[in-house]
Amino acid sequence: MPSDPVHPTAAIWGALREIQDPEFPISLVDMGLIVSADYEPVSKTAQLQITYTAMGCPATEMIQEEIRGRLLALPGVEQVDIAVVWGPAWTRRRLSATARRTLRQLGIAP
Amino acid sequence: MAVQLRTEEEVQARLKSGKLVEGRTHMSPVYLEGIQRILTVSADTELISAPAYFRAAGHAPSLNAFGTAIAIVQDELAHAHIAYRLLEDLGVDKDWLIYQRPARQFKYPYAFDVPLDSWHELVTANALYDQAGFLLLSDVHQSGTFGPWKRALTKVSLEQNFHLRHGRNWMRKLAAEPEEQARLQRAVDWMFVLTLEWFGLPDDRKLHTEQLGYGFKGKSNDQLRQDWMTEVVPFLNEIGITVPAHHDPAQGRYVIDCPFPAAFDAQAKRWRFEEGPISWEEVLVRWRARGPMNEEYVASLQRGFRALAAEA
Repeated sequence: MPSDPVHPTAAIWGALREIQDPEFPISLVDMGLIVSADYEPVSKTAQLQITYTAMGCPATEMIQEEIRGRLLALPGVEQVDIAVVWGPAWTRRRLSATARRTLRQLGIAP
Repeated sequence: MAVQLRTEEEVQARLKSGKLVEGRTHMSPVYLEGIQRILTVSADTELISAPAYFRAAGHAPSLNAFGTAIAIVQDELAHAHIAYRLLEDLGVDKDWLIYQRPARQFKYPYAFDVPLDSWHELVTANALYDQAGFLLLSDVHQSGTFGPWKRALTKVSLEQNFHLRHGRNWMRKLAAEPEEQARLQRAVDWMFVLTLEWFGLPDDRKLHTEQLGYGFKGKSNDQLRQDWMTEVVPFLNEIGITVPAHHDPAQGRYVIDCPFPAAFDAQAKRWRFEEGPISWEEVLVRWRARGPMNEEYVASLQRGFRALAAEA
């Protein structure tokens, strides 16, 4: 991503902040679903570790497809590797302050 | 127990003061009857979408896609439950409404009486039908005067948004392949105009005028139909799907380019546009007669109740 002044990893995080959870108007980052995000410059690969709020999450493919579509649109990203991890387990502690505030506004106890 | 209802003047005074209607003791007979009618339509629509979507979910291309479709079915049942539960508070017999009412008396849009026979048709329903449902309920959420329903719709709207995104994501993905795009086009060809009908009679023909006067809804049928086209037409065009409607900048609104309303062959899933436009009276006849899946869907919802009743 030589033409982009933003560091690739920062650009990846920025893009992930634009993708909302399938139900709540809260980004995947604020939902605590992104465990790690890196950029591998040789193969131009975005490397992610993600988790879900539940093993039975019905939207796993939907979330991964949205991530792939959004990250492949970034200049310099030609591949997206997504590893689903269950450790650390997702708990409500992974919600950001922004996510908690939005959930409260919606009448949902975070 | 008999409930003391209010007079028309008392209800109007309450609404004018900006207060919501919280229960039967705040309602006049006309308000009660009207809110029961609109809640029944909403509840029945959510409920009947469950067997319609469940049947189509069997065409899911993967286990996770099936899981997503089933999660949507579960949401729809929960939304139906909310509306039936509110009807119960308004003195309606919920069990009769769900389990004992004859199929023909259910009051949901005719579109659901036409079977969804493929994954393409299911995701198109999520993008078109759920968009219609989302707009109608968002309008009630924003402008409705019945407090318990208005508050319950916060959760419902979020979940409807999930269904809508599911539909759009899949349509976008399928439309990237010419063969799949052609199948989507065939689905949209019959489903687009059925969803235009969903919003009901045009404003100058409307039967239940108290819906706006009492603030059951904020927007008229024609306004909602325009809002729906504003959402779906640009999206469909963007993914290479053509529809018989376009935006006319001179009029500042969407214009329907096919005969509307029109005769529909439900078995062939085909609009008989060659016959030209028909009257709304003729449409009402088709709606009242219900379509091919009405009895099967309602029977699937009532089967367990009937089996238990037979054992008792």
